[in-house]
Amino acid sequence: MRGGGYFKTTYAADLALVDTRLRRRALAALVFLLLVLPRVASPFILDLVAQTALAAVGALALNVLTGLAGQISLGHAGFIAAGAFTTGLLVENGLRSPLIALPAAAVVGAALGIVVGIPALRLKGLYLALGTLALHHVVLYACAEFQNHWGANTGVSVPPPALGPWVLKGVVAWYYALTLAAALTLALSVNLRRSRAGRAWMAIRDREIAAESVGIDVARYKVLAFVWSSAITAVAGALFAYHRAFVSVEAFGFFLAVEYIAMIIIGGLGSALGAVLGAAFVTLLPHVLDAMVAGLRLAGGAAYYLFPLKFGAFGLLMAVFLLFEPQGLVGIWRRVRNWFALWPLRYRPLRSAS
Amino acid sequence: MTQVLATTVVVASLYALLAAGYVLVYRATRVLNLAQGDMMTLGGYFLFLVATAAPGEPARAIAGAAALSALAGFLIYRLLMRPMAGHPIFAAVLVTVTLGILLRAAIVLVYTDRIRHPLGLLGLANPARPLIGGAVVSTFDLFTVGAAAALFAALFLFLRFSPLGIQMRAAGEKPLLASQRGINFHLVFALSWALAGFAGALAGILYANNVRLDPSLGVLGLKAFAVALVGGLDSLGGVVPGALIVALVEVLSVRYGDPLLADVSPFLCLLAMLLVRPWGLYGTKEELERV
Amino acid sequence: MTSFFELTPSLELENLEVVYHHVATAIQGVSLRVMPGSIVTLLGTNGAGKTTTLRAISGFLGADNAQIVGGRVLFLGQPVTGRRPHELVRRGLVLVPERDKVFETLTVQENLRALVPGWRAWRGADRPRIRLDQVFEYFPLLADRRRQLAGYLSGGERQMLALATALLCRPAVLLVDELSLGLAPAVIERLMILVARLRDELGLAVLLVEQNAGAALAVADYGYVMEHGRIVYDGPRDRLLAHADVREFYLGVGHRAGRKSYTDVKQYRRRRRWF
Ligand SMILES: Nc1ncnc2c1ncn2[C@@H]1O[C@H](COP(=O)(O)OP(=O)(O)OP(=O)(O)O)[C@@H](O)[C@H]1O
Ligand SMILES: [Mg+2]
Repeated sequence: MRGGGYFKTTYAADLALVDTRLRRRALAALVFLLLVLPRVASPFILDLVAQTALAAVGALALNVLTGLAGQISLGHAGFIAAGAFTTGLLVENGLRSPLIALPAAAVVGAALGIVVGIPALRLKGLYLALGTLALHHVVLYACAEFQNHWGANTGVSVPPPALGPWVLKGVVAWYYALTLAAALTLALSVNLRRSRAGRAWMAIRDREIAAESVGIDVARYKVLAFVWSSAITAVAGALFAYHRAFVSVEAFGFFLAVEYIAMIIIGGLGSALGAVLGAAFVTLLPHVLDAMVAGLRLAGGAAYYLFPLKFGAFGLLMAVFLLFEPQGLVGIWRRVRNWFALWPLRYRPLRSAS
Repeated sequence: MTQVLATTVVVASLYALLAAGYVLVYRATRVLNLAQGDMMTLGGYFLFLVATAAPGEPARAIAGAAALSALAGFLIYRLLMRPMAGHPIFAAVLVTVTLGILLRAAIVLVYTDRIRHPLGLLGLANPARPLIGGAVVSTFDLFTVGAAAALFAALFLFLRFSPLGIQMRAAGEKPLLASQRGINFHLVFALSWALAGFAGALAGILYANNVRLDPSLGVLGLKAFAVALVGGLDSLGGVVPGALIVALVEVLSVRYGDPLLADVSPFLCLLAMLLVRPWGLYGTKEELERV
Repeated sequence: MTSFFELTPSLELENLEVVYHHVATAIQGVSLRVMPGSIVTLLGTNGAGKTTTLRAISGFLGADNAQIVGGRVLFLGQPVTGRRPHELVRRGLVLVPERDKVFETLTVQENLRALVPGWRAWRGADRPRIRLDQVFEYFPLLADRRRQLAGYLSGGERQMLALATALLCRPAVLLVDELSLGLAPAVIERLMILVARLRDELGLAVLLVEQNAGAALAVADYGYVMEHGRIVYDGPRDRLLAHADVREFYLGVGHRAGRKSYTDVKQYRRRRRWF
């Protein structure tokens, strides 16, 4: 028998990351597109892609924790802040190499993951979300105290990362660096789904007691999820610090955590593709709104309304997705794909009689 | 010393008003309303709205603002929360987060982010009152304490003895069984949202008169959820000791620490509580398993 | 029983079909009737679709993502398919559910008070009014335990409390899901007798879903047997008691050689009923 997209004949085929020829080609085309993009696109576009890639790293990490392992975290901004401030602290003390800063951020993130993960074993669902939210505030408080100690009330500037003679500077360089980081995280997250840990996380997410009864060490895997997720997130925070060239507490408010949650919700919970789509959506939305308002050519005073409008549109879109499209962008994508796959037939669920 | 106590009681009263909103909504619908703080701000701005329309009539303005807020709570349930029935609780909680964002955006859109003081519009003053023992509080501080005490007494009687209150508890425990006993639980839930809107508005109205009104008052709401959790999310009675503890820690850390620490102290209380007794002082342990 | 066919049935199902999650058919064309003042029992093994039938009648399917995709429910001659549960209760169609039947965080008294009649919702109902002391007369045990939290009651006491609260809703038709679930035989017998007494004194129509066919058929006037979402056999009590399959599979007193699984028996007489 021949294998297909949905129909696999061997275990290896079932495990393959990229399973059909169409998908392999699409992937190759995407990689090619990303490679040649700097030759055709304006720096502005490249910068947007780079920002999306950076957001995607964080969103993918959150997706592992919330989407795969089912542990809801509202403290994601805290982990990002931890990574960023670790970098800031190291730079401030003369250790400028990213070879030190990135692993250090990962270690700090992992440690923080353990600090959160172990108490989180007692908590579930809503309580866990609130615990992480509280933790976010505590981490920010620690960062704010640091900031005060540096005497730099507004923040710390971070020089661009340098490896010997190579300095990561300029839009194109950052574009490649961040896209690579996002691609690596994506590959890692997709791969996780087919690992033992990934399956254990999904089992825990779906039903904790059942997972326990088939011999999954729930406590260990939960803590592992926290450690994994927060380590990656902290690295994203370090990249964030380098990319912005500046670290300040103001950048990591509760709203940032909401933005990340929004990314994985709008993208589609539990799906790596969804996390990337959601990151793109949330990152690009304000720019699209800007462009739309600019297109309208409103009078000078109208610019004042832009901020609340952007803010409100973000809230509205998130609400719309939560209410009407809980599967997120990925759900829409799957429906479109199925529609084409089934065409000209249609799948129509049974309707209620009344 | 007496000043510390007096300030603690005042701060605790404000938190208790807000936390009552959390508990009411949670008890009924199992949803934590993270927009409670913004509903408080909304109450303050409703006061501003009514006061600008009819200046110099404090009683009518306050009653009007409270009624508008209750109505807003009702509508929020009807339009946003009811469609979330059957979705995971966490999705509903996120809807409340977006609700907070929307409310704040709407307020800034209409009233800009300038700081307002409705006190003058209402034609009221807020003189300081010395208490026995040398502490000084403002008049509206006293009103806050009184309002919190009155609200809690009323809520206690309502939930304990009135048929509607009993139905609210029943619907909160098992909505399906409640509807099987003739209770229209959507109506009961909407009512609990209206009550939460009312409680939040009381806090907002008092705070707006006492201190100031600006669109970012909502952060107080985040502190108040720490109160609700310390007391036990499903226990109205727990709110009072919870509020006192959190307020005391905050007042002490303002006095002996720094303002940054004071801002984070409610969350430290919350984390400490989650470590020792995740279900809160008076909450039920089983509640942890339900969510 | 000449008037039997002339009366409007209290409850009637016509070819009801229910689908879970848009795909899994749980009930396929179930029709049944409950006449006023009668006890009708619906028998069936686990997963036959009994609970689903009751849920469909009482408007409860939405919570489990199920839908009525065909047929209708008539209550006192009027179609009520898809009405919301609390409306149906106010009209007198009351369910005692299988699980989760009392409010555990409320006291017994509060459980009863949460739905005290006399409030505007029940206005205009011409059904007999049932007072609290009347209920305590039926269930003296509850009177003693008024102040206790319902969460601390035993299974049988919960069942009584559930019946009591259902009575206070002033039912015209009482739907009872597994009265016997987890109860001692003596308690089951007492409760069954009580149900019969309620029927006699209050003129209730009762639809009794049961696995315990012996206990149910002791009080029922008529019975239906359900399997895989279909009614496979029905008849008055005596006919059911005499029926070989029912005797063998439900009453455990069959004398055929060897054991058979239900699905092995293919030749059920699927009859068109009532006409
Ligand atoms: N929530 C649900 N989702 C999907 N299928 C369901 C659901 N509930 C019940 N079913 C299916 O519907 C069928 C009928 O179930 P139902 O609960 O009505 O059986 P029952 O006759 O009450 O059984 P029991 O005697 O065990 O209570 C079963 O095959 C079951 O698998
Ligand atoms: Mg059943």
